[in-house]
Amino acid sequence: MKVVRELREDLIGRIRLMNGLVTGLLVAIACCYWFVQIVQGDHFRELAENNRLRKLPIKAPRGLIYDRNGHLLVENIPSYNLLIDRSRSASLPAALAFAAGILGRQPAELQAIVDRDRATPGFRPVLLAEHLTLPQVAQVGVEGLEFPEFEVEVQNLRLYRHGPQTAHALGYLGEVTPQEVERSDGAYSPGDLVGKRGIEQVFDHLLRGRDGERVVVVDSRGKLLEEYGRRPAEPGKPLKLTLDLDLQQLAIQLFDGPDKVGSVVALDPRNGEIRAFVSAPSYDPNLFARRLAREEWEALIGAPHDPLRDRAIQNTYSPGSVFKIVMATAGLAEGIVNESDSVWCSGSNTIYGHSFRCWRPGGHGRVDFHAALKLSCDTYFYHLGQRLGIERIARYARLFGLGTPTGIELRGENPGLVPDPAWSLARRKHPWYPGETISVAIGQGPILVSPLQIATMTAIVANGGRPVHPHLVEGAEDDLPAPPELPERVLRAVRAGLDAVVNEPGGTATGARPSDVRIAGKTGTVQVIAQSARTNPSSMPFRFRDHGWFTSFGPVDDPQLVIVVFLEHGGSGSHGAAPIAKALYEKYFATAQPRRDS
Amino acid sequence: MRNILRPLSPAATPEERQPFAQIAAVDGGLVIAALLLAAVGLATVHSASSELAVDYLPRQALWVGLGFVLLIGAVSIDYRVLLDLSLTLYLLGLVLLALVLVLGDVRGGARSWFVFGPWQFQPSEFAKLATTLFVARYLSGIDQPVLALRQIATAVGLVALPMLLIVVEPDMGGAAMFVPLLVGMLLIAGVKLRYLLTAALLAASLGFGLWTFGMKEYQRDRVMTFLQPERDPLGTGYHVRQSKIAVGSGELFGKGYMQGTQSQLRFLPARHTDFIFAVLAEEWGFAGIVTVLGLFALYIRGGARIAMRARDRSGILIVVGLLSVFCFHVLYNTAMVVGFLPITGIPLPFLSYGGTFMLYNFTATGILLGVDLRRYVNR
Repeated sequence: MKVVRELREDLIGRIRLMNGLVTGLLVAIACCYWFVQIVQGDHFRELAENNRLRKLPIKAPRGLIYDRNGHLLVENIPSYNLLIDRSRSASLPAALAFAAGILGRQPAELQAIVDRDRATPGFRPVLLAEHLTLPQVAQVGVEGLEFPEFEVEVQNLRLYRHGPQTAHALGYLGEVTPQEVERSDGAYSPGDLVGKRGIEQVFDHLLRGRDGERVVVVDSRGKLLEEYGRRPAEPGKPLKLTLDLDLQQLAIQLFDGPDKVGSVVALDPRNGEIRAFVSAPSYDPNLFARRLAREEWEALIGAPHDPLRDRAIQNTYSPGSVFKIVMATAGLAEGIVNESDSVWCSGSNTIYGHSFRCWRPGGHGRVDFHAALKLSCDTYFYHLGQRLGIERIARYARLFGLGTPTGIELRGENPGLVPDPAWSLARRKHPWYPGETISVAIGQGPILVSPLQIATMTAIVANGGRPVHPHLVEGAEDDLPAPPELPERVLRAVRAGLDAVVNEPGGTATGARPSDVRIAGKTGTVQVIAQSARTNPSSMPFRFRDHGWFTSFGPVDDPQLVIVVFLEHGGSGSHGAAPIAKALYEKYFATAQPRRDS
Repeated sequence: MRNILRPLSPAATPEERQPFAQIAAVDGGLVIAALLLAAVGLATVHSASSELAVDYLPRQALWVGLGFVLLIGAVSIDYRVLLDLSLTLYLLGLVLLALVLVLGDVRGGARSWFVFGPWQFQPSEFAKLATTLFVARYLSGIDQPVLALRQIATAVGLVALPMLLIVVEPDMGGAAMFVPLLVGMLLIAGVKLRYLLTAALLAASLGFGLWTFGMKEYQRDRVMTFLQPERDPLGTGYHVRQSKIAVGSGELFGKGYMQGTQSQLRFLPARHTDFIFAVLAEEWGFAGIVTVLGLFALYIRGGARIAMRARDRSGILIVVGLLSVFCFHVLYNTAMVVGFLPITGIPLPFLSYGGTFMLYNFTATGILLGVDLRRYVNR
């Protein structure tokens, strides 16, 4: 391993040679830089100063969104911004005075805007004003010839044609965050507008298309001389929703008024296509298309009943008596009861040492399976719940899709809660109380559901037991029917009971019978405070009033539409929620009947 | 190849047990150059990313810090221990390169990155280091004034293996970085002039073959636009042109820190990575360029001195291998930025943003200093 002396000298000689060679090359490269920077420096400085080549983005037009009948829901409209390039300005005060005249603002205001950007280099244009009117744009173009520092930039704005009426389904755009830019692997650049909520967010990758760019030659005043090259933009893909605009509009109109809070979900039980998706109160997404002022944002955040919240999927509530659909199905399917078994309802019961009252003070007398659904007799379901036990109740609730997200495209879905003893031990750290089973049997207690979950639950009853995946975008799901998971014999009996609710004397929703179509349904009234503290509903404070549910499907013999109406603190299901559903059925089946059977 | 498995590192002598006792003896110019270059890099990366979505400065600072830790680690290991480990490291490098072809993420068209959450790692940098060590180990065992053809062929084969795996990714720039380490070490170890001429001829015909059969369309495009920039005004030609405008408009003293119109107005592509030297040229002018090139020269001169006074043949070869790669990066990148060589993804050591490459450079510097520290004993 010892290096022989002369070999070492050889190596050192070669290293010296190579070091000399590399140093020589470094000097040569330094000469290159000297040539470019010193000899040709003036030339390149001029090129840089004139910015003769400018790379301009060509914004891809964002995809339009239609309802199922081809009605346009969202479009793009041009908007004009006024920018000032301070490095081109001969006299900034004169330029600002000129702009203030056109904009109808004080020069001092504009000066304040410019001052805010004082730290940025002068050659970077500053945004002076947004949303210029066309006359203002023309004025800048014609009268502004002596002010080359002004630029008018065209930007596409999203216009939500129906504003608040489709807000929760469509969502809105906002400026991309630095984190999103980084994660997007080149798809987003800073300043881009991207979907922040709803369909706009989930389908952003399809809607946004791909921006193009062009390189133009400009003169020293920034005026465009010629195009140097371009890559065209690829426009975003249009989306067709499953929503029915007429139905959607009527549904939200029926929620018009102060303290009208709640949700409507309508869907086709055969394939899960959502026809109406309403959360009230709503907000105007067009506010977000313009730069939202702090006061506007705070007003939105502080508005009563939180309009930004999507009550159809983000909020969960006790299902109340609409849960009796699950209970009835479980009782028959498990053979705990048959259709002719009956119970005597005296109005009050004592189970596990607690008093459980039926909603009807005097009781319903003798009640069988059919009558129990029609009259919504609590006593019947208390006894059924006691015999089923919480484990079996929970299993059927899950078969109906409760306790898990429905899988709708939108983000932020609340899975709700199907309680059982394991959950109680894990989360509440105490065992399940048998009395709670009795409460859950009538949809009270810890169980929580969203309006959309009640819609899918009802769709399963209506379509013969097949699970449905609710969705808003046409063709996004394969519409192959899933195999039934519940016996048709049982569901037929449940459907007959729900039919009686609307169509037989004594049913809890006889007032909701639409004129042209026979529907079936179930009401629910959720007590917010204990019965003993209750007084006349209309005199109670808003937050103590009952929630009202009505879930329904029609036509009874060939269900094509499920409608769920939920009224937060809106009184009983029979009087508050059911009439809204009635109006919606009449609208849907009066206007568009021929198209339904395709 | 036989004696490659025989350990090189003898029992340590008393002086060697405390290598840091002689810390004052290392080449100071090299250390100072490396640290100053990293500092210039941090400042320039900050300026270059001011218009990007994120400021890369904090992350680059993290890489520099980690790099310094690796440098200390590399200094403290005897290079003969590294040479004894070199076969293992070389094989590990090959395994990683094979794995990245299956498990890696695609960045810029090449499947060359391992990604773990926010962390990314490019195994080709590791393989480059391991290959340098292993080839140095092999060539150091040959006590002849010039290498035999068979020995040259073995060395070429050792380098070709990892290169081929990187070509498959396909990352031509990354693969090309193996050539200087091979050529540098072979030239120093001694090659007959006859072979040199044959190799040059072979390279020329290989280049022709690559051009005709091996290159992808965009790669041919890049070379063509280098020769005729106006061919592709939006793509590569645009980049060359904008880079030249940035460099040229810097003139003698530059436009000032963070004031480069070309850099700040997004005209420059990859300005925080491969084109960082253009940002420097625009904002600091010729004065800044000469200063930074001077720092590179200082580093290279320090490296050459370390090679010349290294204790043994293996030390010389390691230093030459690492230094050759360094020189190639510096020469190619600076020439590319000013428009004298075609654009390819070759970053500038210590200046360009990039984690793995920064760690590589600090580790290589540590190995260089480690060789220098152990030069006295047993000459």
